[in-house]
This record gives sequence, structure tokens and C-alpha cells, in this order.
Amino acid sequence: MKEKLTLKDLREGMYITLSSGWLSHDFAKNSFKIDSPKLLKKVQAQSVAYATVDYEKSDIPDNSFVEEIGHNNPVNDPKHEAPPEGWSSRNVVPEELIEAIEDKKLSPDKKSAAVYSHSIEMMEHLLESPTAENIHASKQAISSITDLILSDNRTADSLLRITTHDFYTYTHSVNVGVTGLMLSKALFKNSDAHDLHELGAGFFLHDLGKVKVNPDVLNKPGRLTEPEMRHVRIHPYQGYKLLKSANALSEECRLIVMQHHEFVDGTGYPRRLKGDEIHLYGKICGIADVFDALTAERSYKKAMSTFDALKLMKEQMISHFDKELFGSFVRLF
Amino acid sequence: MRRYLCDVCGLIYDEAKGIPDEGIPPGTRWEDIPDDWVCPDCGATKDAFILIE
Repeated sequence: MKEKLTLKDLREGMYITLSSGWLSHDFAKNSFKIDSPKLLKKVQAQSVAYATVDYEKSDIPDNSFVEEIGHNNPVNDPKHEAPPEGWSSRNVVPEELIEAIEDKKLSPDKKSAAVYSHSIEMMEHLLESPTAENIHASKQAISSITDLILSDNRTADSLLRITTHDFYTYTHSVNVGVTGLMLSKALFKNSDAHDLHELGAGFFLHDLGKVKVNPDVLNKPGRLTEPEMRHVRIHPYQGYKLLKSANALSEECRLIVMQHHEFVDGTGYPRRLKGDEIHLYGKICGIADVFDALTAERSYKKAMSTFDALKLMKEQMISHFDKELFGSFVRLF
Repeated sequence: MRRYLCDVCGLIYDEAKGIPDEGIPPGTRWEDIPDDWVCPDCGATKDAFILIE
């Protein structure tokens, strides 16, 4: 029997497979047995959302931890039930995300790692079931993440540093969410004219429309053909429409989703807007989006360091961006 | 009857077919579509469309 557990539920003696391939960890192998308390600690310190336990290869039976934590009726423990079909608004936001945000005892490093990995989990759930209810539930959680980023500078700075990369839209969504919010915080911290909670939701949800893109195109390894690239370009407007029909976010924040691929030189899409035709919020998201795409590894290109990505943006892409805004972005790092 | 390609996302507007789901009946000529109409897939404006045949 195999079971998916969050890291805090792991015990010594378990044979586990880390949910890697989408988040890096410090181990040479994805699968191994936790054979010492020291190793257990090391595993639990990773920024991986969960691990799969294979009880046949483990030293402990599959209900030992249930007894340990005092449950006497494991059937009532949702951890022992099959995962739900899709995600309902009750569980689209992992409890651990809210716990991590509210935990006052966690160090900034631990807190940022937990908030980061559980935010990714939330975005994964949301993109699987982007219902109006789930959008609203996620928006509330993003609001709490925004409060954390605004009020806890050390955790916020740590969040900016720990972003990892993989193939998936949900990881990218969190990265752009965090970077977009950090730039907004730097720009607007002394102003009450901007609702950073709405902005944060816009940044986290900027790629929501990818749920309407053919998954074969989205998951294709390697470069896309011209017709495939065109098809991907539906996602800003599709995301905008999804948010509009869910009645989520103010119109100016929905513009983040609609405009995050516009460039100030008029070479972006879908409207080929120029200069200040693009809303300031859309410009912020555009910079964060390009930066994250450059620092991500793809099958056809290597990941760039922060320095190299910023250098390339300055030297080869600066006409795409608002120069002043780009200057503020560089100063974040 | 002519066909137009959305140069942003590749949607094809075929005058013969219209887009009934969007309230454009079959046979609607391109010039009779309002100027503020946008591509139902990507949101591009009418000027992003090119005549293909």
C-alpha cells in the first residue's frame, strides 16, 4: 500500500518517494528509507510539498503513526481516504498553508519554505479545478500571503530567494505572485492608493487561463510550432474571462491577467498595447513573468542565474519594459 | 465569402459560418461586425485579423 503524506507526518522507518521532478531537494535519489532521526529531520526540512510512502518497503505498518498521534478510528481520518475527485473549495487551500502563515514561532527560513511549498500545492489544486468557489477560496489565502509579505520583511526576502523552477504553471504562478508582490511592496509601501491584496491575487492568478490551453501543447517538451505558440496566446484573455465570470478581483486587477504579455514597445499580445496603454499593474506582472521564465530551466534551454537574467533583460529586452519600473525591479535583488 | 485569421491566436473567422455562439449568424460579412468586437479566444481587436482568402 502506498500513501501520500505531508512531510510532518513522516516517521522513521518509512520508505518514501519525494514528490520531486517538480521541486528540487537535497538528496541524490528520489526514493529511500528514512533510517535515522537525523535523516527524518533533513527530509522534513526540504521545501517539497509531500512524499509518497511505500509501506511494503517500510519498517513500520501503515497505521503506526495513527496510534502515535492518538487517533483510534483511522477511518475517520481524511488522510486515509482516497484523494477527492477534483478539489472542492473546502480543501483547495491546504490547511498547512494557513498554519504556516499564522505560526509565530517558525524561523523566517522555515516559514518561507512552508508557505512556498503549500502555496504551490494550492495553485496546483486550483488549476485542476478552477471553479468560481475555488478562485474565491484561493484569493482569500493569497490575501493572507500578501499580509505576510507586507508585514514580515525577513520571511518575504527569504521567499524571494527560495523560488525554485520546474515545468509547471503552478510553480511559476507562485514565483510571479511573490516577485510581483515584492516589486509592488517596494513601489507602493508608502501609498494607500493601491490594494495590494487585489494585486497579489492578480499576480498569483495571472496564468489561470492556461487551464483553457490544450494540455498537449502546454506540456510539450521542446519548442512549440508557430500554430502552437499562437494557441498559447489565448491564455491572458481566457484567464480574464474566468475571473470576470467568477466575479473575482476588481477590473483593474483583472487587467493584470489580461495584460501580462503586453510590452511597452507594442510587441506584446493580445492587444499590442504601447507605453501607458498598459496598466502599471500589468507592466509589473510582465516584468516578473519574463524574469521567472528566464530563470526557469526548460528542455530546450538552461536556467539562468538572477544576475544573468537581469543582465539579459537590460541588454536585450529593455525596449519591452518601462525603464523606471525595471530599475526598481533590479533593486529588489 | 471570405475567411480571416486572427494573427495573435490563429482563430479563423469564416464569413459563411459566422460564430453563432458569439451572436454572429452565418453569412455575416467582416465589415458588418462591430469595431469593438474582440476575438472570442484571445481578446485581440479586429485589426489583428488578416484576410486569408
